[in-house]
Amino acid sequence: MNKQKKGMPISLTLRVMSFAGFAILACLLLSGFFVIKSVEQHFIEQDYDELKIIIETVEQRLDSINGNVSQAPDVLSQAISGHHGVYFQVETPPGTHLFHSKGAEFFSEITHPQPANRIDKSNLVSWKIDSEIYRGLVVDFTVEGIPYRVMAAMDMAFHLSFLEKFKEKMWLIMLVIGIATLTATWFGIYQGHRPLIQLSRRIRNIQTNQLDERIAPNSLPIELRELALSFNQMLQHLEDGFERLSNFSADIAHELRTPLTNLITQTQVGLTQARPIEQYKELLYSNLEEQERLAKMVSDMLWLAQSDNKLIQPASTLIDLSSEIKDLFEFFDALAAESQITLTLEGEAPAIPADRELLKRALSNLLSNAIRHTPYGEKITVKIGQNKNHNVYVEIINPGEQIPAEHLSKLFDRFYRVDPSRNRLSEGTGLGLAITKSIIETHDGRITVESNNARTTFTVYLPLVM
Amino acid sequence: MRLLVVEDERKAGEFIRQGLTEAGFLVTWMSNGLDGYHQAMTETFDVIILDVMLPDIDGWRILKSLREAGNQTPVIFLTARDSVTDRVKGLELGADDYLVKPFAFVELLARIRSLLRRGNSTAIIEELKVADLVLDIPSRKVTRAGKKITLSQKEFLLLELFIRRQGEVLPRSIIASEVWDMNFDSDTNVIDVAVRRLRAKIDDEFEQKLIHTVRGMGYKLEDESE
Repeated sequence: MNKQKKGMPISLTLRVMSFAGFAILACLLLSGFFVIKSVEQHFIEQDYDELKIIIETVEQRLDSINGNVSQAPDVLSQAISGHHGVYFQVETPPGTHLFHSKGAEFFSEITHPQPANRIDKSNLVSWKIDSEIYRGLVVDFTVEGIPYRVMAAMDMAFHLSFLEKFKEKMWLIMLVIGIATLTATWFGIYQGHRPLIQLSRRIRNIQTNQLDERIAPNSLPIELRELALSFNQMLQHLEDGFERLSNFSADIAHELRTPLTNLITQTQVGLTQARPIEQYKELLYSNLEEQERLAKMVSDMLWLAQSDNKLIQPASTLIDLSSEIKDLFEFFDALAAESQITLTLEGEAPAIPADRELLKRALSNLLSNAIRHTPYGEKITVKIGQNKNHNVYVEIINPGEQIPAEHLSKLFDRFYRVDPSRNRLSEGTGLGLAITKSIIETHDGRITVESNNARTTFTVYLPLVM
Repeated sequence: MRLLVVEDERKAGEFIRQGLTEAGFLVTWMSNGLDGYHQAMTETFDVIILDVMLPDIDGWRILKSLREAGNQTPVIFLTARDSVTDRVKGLELGADDYLVKPFAFVELLARIRSLLRRGNSTAIIEELKVADLVLDIPSRKVTRAGKKITLSQKEFLLLELFIRRQGEVLPRSIIASEVWDMNFDSDTNVIDVAVRRLRAKIDDEFEQKLIHTVRGMGYKLEDESE
């Protein structure tokens, strides 16, 4: 119910799409950034090479005049023929104008030229003069004892406009790529979900009369196999439960029909003619027997129904198993003695929290069951103890005929009888073991049974803490 | 002894009245809650037998009003619902006993008698005697016609129960509960076997039988020569 408060859960498609979209966006932005950076870097290299050549040429020319400064403008005027968009100015001493190339008047506006002592890429600077942007290099050096300052610059307008166009095109391409990838992702998700939709359609079509249907895991992508297996398992549980339930209803009908038929028949026969009073009495006794059985069956079934619906809430008091079992032995003493059966208790167990009445009822059912199936003169052993898993166990071991393996798992089913032809009057209502199991389970315990050709053992495990 | 039965189901009410009347009680039967409450408030009864599910006001409300008005007559509830919360609710409201339908009539009878007995302070009896059977309670010795009979502890308790409630039919459930503290129906015939074994010791060798089977209901101990 908590989820309802937080609103609708996010759809799987939206989840994947947002993650994929985010990743694609990050990839494109990152690669765009690096492409632009490297193009810019490439331009810087180019510009630097150009400026370096110019400064080196100027240095050579100044060298060639042998300190005769007056010849400098002549030699310098030829220095950059063949280079376009490139300007330079020579000062000697630095700060005093000596010569500038054609169109290089703008150098006079540079107030802080930041000169360097050598030609190096790290000394590149850029100047914004009027609306023009220049990249430049300012180097101070001495030739024949005369200090010079060379300022070289080149117009970046061409590079900048190229870069602008390049960026525009690149972002457009990336946008297209991004949209295309996202569409592909969406389509991929849709395709990927198709088996899920098909699976759901198959599941939806399973009706209660088709609970034997199973989904073949091999027909599904590997990611869905686990789901199919779990679903199959759930179907199995449902099928078992459903089968038990419908068997149970059929059994109830059968179990009720027998005593009802007896009641009706014997009463009708009794009424067909006038009889001595003794015979009427006999009839009433016989009716009473059947009626009591019916009443017992109804209350047992009611008990089980309440237990199924978790309406039976066991009280929790500390129970000393060995004293309870001794009490039960005393109760069954007469019955056991009739068949010369001895009852023995072995072992010790710590006290456990349980509902005394319920636990007694459960153990009493197991004991009476054991007495019923033990041959004359033999011995029933009850062993109690504690195992490693902090459970207390009670083993009820009786010698006697082996219960065939196919019956063992159904022994705790309602109305289940190993031998269908067995006299129903001697067997109680056929709900005893079902009630026992139910009681043990309301105590968070479990019960098992095993049988070999010498003895049958019922084992009850009960937790030390309820 | 006067009993009030409040039960709306006609057949059940009629038979309970008949059964209790034949058992020697003076029975007033009311078929709805209001009349029942009125009767309980205006006349004196020794025990009230109250159905929980009544068409007008339910048994719990009747009981609550009675107790609030200071009426302390013992009440036995009859209910079709057997759940622990129901039981606890009834007992908390001051009910004295509780029977789940369908119940055995003889069980109702036994419960009524034990409620009636509860009021009387029972003097400490050291010796119980029926015909020539003598129980020495402190020393747990049993003799019949002067002959010593050896009983197990539970057999002694069983015999003591029979003698203390002689003449009264005891259903198996009451015997199981009183002697062995087993408060549920066992699928077995343990009680029959136990009674048979007791009879073998105290009755078989003697001409006059004391323990009698009441078919379909239970057992009773009675000195029929009286």
